[in-house]
Amino acid sequence: MRVVMAMMLGVALLASGCASKVEYGDPQARETVTPDFGSSDLQMIATKMVDDMMVFPPVVELTRNRRPVLFVDRVKNKTSEHVDTESITDTIQSRLINSGKFRFVDMTVVDRVRQQLEYQQDSGMVDQSTAAQMGRQIGAEFMLYGNLSSIVKRDNSTKDVYYKFTLKLLNIQSGIIEWSGEKEIRKTRSRSLFGL
Amino acid sequence: MEAGRVWGNKKHWLMLVLPLWLAGCAMGSLFQPYPSQAQSWVHPASGRNASIVQHLERAGKGRDGVLYLQELGLLQQRLGNDTASRTVFADVINHYEHTDAQALIRVTGLASQTGALLINDNALPYRAPDYERIFTYSYQALNYWAAGDVTGTAVELRRAAQAQRMAEQHREKELAKADEDTAPLDLSQYQGYFEGLDLAAGAVKSSFQNAWTFYLSALFWEAHGEYNDALVDYKKALELHPEADWLKADVQRVSRALDGQRQRGIGTVAVIYEQGDVPARQEVSLPIPTPHGLFLVAFPSYSVTSGSVARPLTFHVAGQSAQTRVLADVGALAARNLREQAPGMLIRQVLRATGKYNLQKKANDDFGGAGAFLTQLFNLISEQADRRSWLGLPAYAQAGRITVPVGEQQVLLSGPGGDASVTVPVVERGLTLIHVTERAGRLVARVLPVQEGPL
Repeated sequence: MRVVMAMMLGVALLASGCASKVEYGDPQARETVTPDFGSSDLQMIATKMVDDMMVFPPVVELTRNRRPVLFVDRVKNKTSEHVDTESITDTIQSRLINSGKFRFVDMTVVDRVRQQLEYQQDSGMVDQSTAAQMGRQIGAEFMLYGNLSSIVKRDNSTKDVYYKFTLKLLNIQSGIIEWSGEKEIRKTRSRSLFGL
Repeated sequence: MEAGRVWGNKKHWLMLVLPLWLAGCAMGSLFQPYPSQAQSWVHPASGRNASIVQHLERAGKGRDGVLYLQELGLLQQRLGNDTASRTVFADVINHYEHTDAQALIRVTGLASQTGALLINDNALPYRAPDYERIFTYSYQALNYWAAGDVTGTAVELRRAAQAQRMAEQHREKELAKADEDTAPLDLSQYQGYFEGLDLAAGAVKSSFQNAWTFYLSALFWEAHGEYNDALVDYKKALELHPEADWLKADVQRVSRALDGQRQRGIGTVAVIYEQGDVPARQEVSLPIPTPHGLFLVAFPSYSVTSGSVARPLTFHVAGQSAQTRVLADVGALAARNLREQAPGMLIRQVLRATGKYNLQKKANDDFGGAGAFLTQLFNLISEQADRRSWLGLPAYAQAGRITVPVGEQQVLLSGPGGDASVTVPVVERGLTLIHVTERAGRLVARVLPVQEGPL
């Protein structure tokens, strides 16, 4: 009897150990599953870029009495990983908008906006007194663009990845780079000696 | 004492049952040589594609999963299913990353090592050698290229370059270490058995460096005006083929482009050509010395006659013609890779031969003729050389390029596998890539999206 009980207990323990489970986690928690580009890197980059830009004296001066209009060009992925750089610029854009200091135009939806404008103007379905007018959009004054590059080194027991994110704010009319920010990240993974 | 005897008897029975059980079940390539399995996907019979894909997907979940997935990724690409191929190759690359990150000494690894010592080397999980990894990245780059994803292509080409660089560093360290240690086993006593292997391996300088991949990425970087990267890759290809004047011309052209001298009104048409099938490993019988005398064991090798002959593909465009040249002799890479692994394999064979002899002797002592017969049967069946390698790869990876005036151009391809004609767009300073594969005497050509402008 005691043997049967012990076996049942053993099976129960084994079964509970194998069952997969789902848990909610803190999205801001440090993620170190692999040395590849991850959520923590994205957050660190966005925070650093926004903080740097908001305290840069000429930018502070620029946004004292008005909210300049920006557009995000793109961040070139020059790494050896398939990184969604749009996701990084989206986060930066959201934080800048929420600071109340900047406004943005979105170049990724131009075609759909044009379609909507044409619908409002030409379809005959929309009350013209409320229809949005063509040619009234505000031109962007500044452009945000940058690079994400990486250097990977690896030997039998270690993998070292260095990321460098560069973001620039360019005055479209004068061609002057008004601000430039950089964030470096280094990650190292060591192989354990023993494992399953 | 009594209990001890019972347990001892059990062990005897286990010894008899184990060989039968092992012989009865076909576990991957443990008892069935890989090349005979691979025939069905290297040259798929028409109408059987769906079942082969299913079979490979299933096998991809097993112990040698990465090998089957490599085959599946390439098969899907050749069937024109680029998206499926991309997913499969992404899995393969994840697998590489996972293997590289595993602990150095693993419990499961020790288990399969023990299995390999009892049965044969096929019990070890398949580990993709560097030359196969580099091909995976190149094929994945072509998948992104075909989908028009320039950033994705660039990422995969960078990974291919990284894999080559790391393999080189790794090899340098190993060589330095080998110089310090004394050679663990003398291969020279088996010289006659490895004649074909030595001959095939002698055609290349290392077991992984792949000028074809370097050339492919050089073409890509040049088309996007990244002349610095292009120059590095052309030079690396030239390093591997120092006699190739046409590669010297590439280096000179890109050097001039770096200095701002760029020709106008012309574009590039390049052909990458995968010819033939990479030879499969053959099995040779090798006499291994054990304390009880010589023991004949099965060992993988390459035969002198197994390689096919490299044949160029000629392409004619706008009144000019050019030929593709061999940039990677894949059979030689595979042979060189096996040559590097041979000492380790021999050590395992000596241990295994001793173990198997002891098993046979014990069975003979305890069970007489029947026991000896059964263990002999097990030894015979289990004596299989490790003949696993990626067999979907071509025998030769070739490439060639030509500059022609911009506009629509007709390209006539003619090779030993027949002729093909394609009409392609040529843009100023752009690159039009034609990917040609020759399988079983048939030419299959596809035109990839034109690459031009900054990245």
